[in-house]
Amino acid sequence: MYSERVQHFLDKKRINVGDEVRLIKDKKTYEGILMPRIELGDKDCLVLKLRNGYNIGIKFERNVKIEKLKGHKKLEKFPARRFEQKPNLPKVSLLATGGTIASRIDYLTGGVKMAFKPEEFFFTVPELADIITFKKIRLLSSLASEDLWYKNWQQMAEEAAKELNRGARGIIITHGTDTMHFSSAALSFMMKNLNKPIVFAGAQRSSDRGSSDTVMNLICSAHVAGYSDFAEVGICMHAESSDTFCFFTRGTKVRKCHTSRRDAFRPINDLPLAKVWPDGKIEIMNENYKKVSEGRIKADIKFEPKVALLKAYPGSDPKLIDHLVKDGIKGIVIEGTGLGHVPTSTPEPERSWVPHVKNAIDSNVPVVITSQCIWGRVHPYVYRNLRILDSTGVIWGEDMIPEVAYVKLGWVIAHTKNLKKIKEMMLTNYAGEISKRSDPRTFLY
Amino acid sequence: MMIDYKKLNLKCGLEIHQQLDTRKLFCDCSSAMKNEQILTIKRKQHVVAGELGEVDFAAQYEFLRNRTFHYQIFSGEDCLVECDEEPPHPVNRKALEIALQIALLFNCTIPDEIHVMRKTLIDGSAISGFQRTTIVGLNGYLKYKDKKIEIKHVSLEEDAAGIVEESAGNVTYKLNRLAIPLVEIGTGLLIGHTPQEIQEIAYLIGIVCRSTGKVKRGIGTVRQDVNVSIKGGKRVEIKGVQTLGLLSKVIELEVKRQLSLPEVKEETRAVNPDGTTRFIRPLPGAARLYPETDIPPISIDKKTIERIKKRLPEPWTKKLIRFKKQLKLSDELSKQILRSDYLDLFEKIVKKFKVSPSVVANVFVSTLKDLRKRGEAPVENLTDEDFEELFGLLEKGKIVKESILDILLYKSKNLDISIKDCIKKLELETITEKELREIVKDVIKMNRDKPVEKIIGIVMSKVRGRVKSENVVKVVKEECNK
Repeated sequence: MYSERVQHFLDKKRINVGDEVRLIKDKKTYEGILMPRIELGDKDCLVLKLRNGYNIGIKFERNVKIEKLKGHKKLEKFPARRFEQKPNLPKVSLLATGGTIASRIDYLTGGVKMAFKPEEFFFTVPELADIITFKKIRLLSSLASEDLWYKNWQQMAEEAAKELNRGARGIIITHGTDTMHFSSAALSFMMKNLNKPIVFAGAQRSSDRGSSDTVMNLICSAHVAGYSDFAEVGICMHAESSDTFCFFTRGTKVRKCHTSRRDAFRPINDLPLAKVWPDGKIEIMNENYKKVSEGRIKADIKFEPKVALLKAYPGSDPKLIDHLVKDGIKGIVIEGTGLGHVPTSTPEPERSWVPHVKNAIDSNVPVVITSQCIWGRVHPYVYRNLRILDSTGVIWGEDMIPEVAYVKLGWVIAHTKNLKKIKEMMLTNYAGEISKRSDPRTFLY
Repeated sequence: MMIDYKKLNLKCGLEIHQQLDTRKLFCDCSSAMKNEQILTIKRKQHVVAGELGEVDFAAQYEFLRNRTFHYQIFSGEDCLVECDEEPPHPVNRKALEIALQIALLFNCTIPDEIHVMRKTLIDGSAISGFQRTTIVGLNGYLKYKDKKIEIKHVSLEEDAAGIVEESAGNVTYKLNRLAIPLVEIGTGLLIGHTPQEIQEIAYLIGIVCRSTGKVKRGIGTVRQDVNVSIKGGKRVEIKGVQTLGLLSKVIELEVKRQLSLPEVKEETRAVNPDGTTRFIRPLPGAARLYPETDIPPISIDKKTIERIKKRLPEPWTKKLIRFKKQLKLSDELSKQILRSDYLDLFEKIVKKFKVSPSVVANVFVSTLKDLRKRGEAPVENLTDEDFEELFGLLEKGKIVKESILDILLYKSKNLDISIKDCIKKLELETITEKELREIVKDVIKMNRDKPVEKIIGIVMSKVRGRVKSENVVKVVKEECNK
């Protein structure tokens, strides 16, 4: 958007974005197409696409003269290509939620739009047409993943159940990467008697570049959704920086561990379920999975949104807990340090978290302890401070990832308000979120 | 046969690419291209949507599907940005400033706001699938023989990765060259010039760039593309002329080639070392450019331009006059050093050390050329510091100019020792007049009956490179006359 005065000037001259114009300033003449103003930069600067394809900005000042030339270019030029769906291929449904993966770029403006018709997915990844057919493609939302929440998880779960019950062989959910592991955890708990694969896929590089990881991630996801024997919710993303193969990793044991790399999603305290190659080869890495079967499934989507995830750190103020409790919070997950510590025997008594944690539990608010180390398991007894914290009645979250414990707590509390029952459910392994043994191979896998 | 280029209506367009001597354009990696390889990553590339027709799409799809790109990653010279694993950092301000200087030296208009664009490349040489490029100057000119040569644009862009090898669908690139800042200077259509004149224009463009003192030197740091067409013919683009002296020959040969064909096709050709060319592909359509949304537009206000204008380097025409008048270089030598890769170092050295400017100029213009011709001396290994040490020692009288060639030859092959140590190893430390006199006396004693010239010869062979030759003559004559 241009500034008001520039827009006013353009309106007066009846000049629209996309018009070919001649612009004169300081005795210099420029010709090109008037482009829309991108969000960044000076809103008083007119953006012109020159004949050689380059954009430049010319600051609007009183001495600027502009006249309309003959041409006009339609600025949104998304390709429209037809693809035939091939019969006799596994029917997979695709649920799009937003994010980088399902977006198309407008080559003139650099603007990004959501794709939601099958052709558009085939355009980005033509290879898909040889692997699966799309039973249905549904655009559930067009949100960046940091803007998604439990209602979106509920919608994903319900739609996935509906599609599977109507004959889909598997589900692909395209999703922004930032909070993909929250969503995959949520669906892991909500899809109780899941009997087909639900595959989350995303992209770290947008589809407008020749190097986009969208292509391999979607191809591998299609192989998992269409052909694999996993009745599991999982994330299918690059395993390494090279375009060699993807990991399909359990939805409760995976986390985004890098801001920008393709191989950002790492298995945590678990081995990936499989390595998946773009040619369709699937190498099982982890025998602990449910196999594909028939039958109707039901999404158990109840969720209590009033849960919180807190981080303990040197100098952290435990009064936050009191505020949350006062505000009606129903459950708290703490990301402790190391084995699950919070500031406990502090020289300044007011900095100790312990009385505040105790107060929360006494107010019927369950507190779950996880570790900000990400990898490893928490423990209640190794140090005296742990034992002090334990005496408040906290729930020790085993080797659950803090984000997974947070999602699980919301799901559990929606099913029971009884503290004892909550503890029991939190420590029950529903979707592979708790491993009984810590496999030595799983650290930094 | 003399070719009348005017009659043929020879039309050429030049695009000159010059690497800048800064760190990389969108990250803080070194651009030295000296370090060891640490990793390789393997990537596929995909056709990206655009304004392609069905045929183009299908062809590109097939082309890319059958190719795997292998990228070599170098220590200190590549980071996640080059690996296409991290968004670009803000543009390198030093490089931008040099590019703006060059644009102003070519009398260009600077846009009020600079927009970084993505230029689609499908050969894998840009790991992301596009090259980042931005126009920093428009509508400039260059004076040549009292005529104004149009400079259409000056742009600042990232260099592409250098190819290592290609075989059976596997293409290997080195990422250390990727994203080295590159200034591209595009001329308007040059009509009515001979190939020799076009080469001179290219030289001039090079001299202007070099006058900033901040461009890289050596093979591969300058690349020229030239478009050639003659009356009634089509445009042929020739890419990658790496030595300036070859340009006129390339154009001449291309004109002859076009004259020998019944029909000329629009195409892109690459240069062979002997100046002939080979077909590489049909002429591509206009490059597809779209905005680089990861980098905000950069405002260039009037203050910035004024500040850069104030600090513009001395124009080459003034420099030429100064070299002749002040430094007492001959016209020929002045022009040679102006064209030399070592111009900035030459100026630095004559400012810093009290040594004869023509000796310094000759080292850069002739001695290095001789060494290169011998083929055995990797001259590019010699650093600015080596030359400074060398001329410092010359200033102090620790060496004589006659020994410079031997010292540089030795040093270029022995990187880990200093110039001083080279001199010791080669026994080229100067000797005092007293020592010389002793040697002369000894030689005369042993060769009593020999003529003076012979004596001079014998002494010379003993002290070559350690004493000025005129001193030898002087001392021998004095001693013989005693």
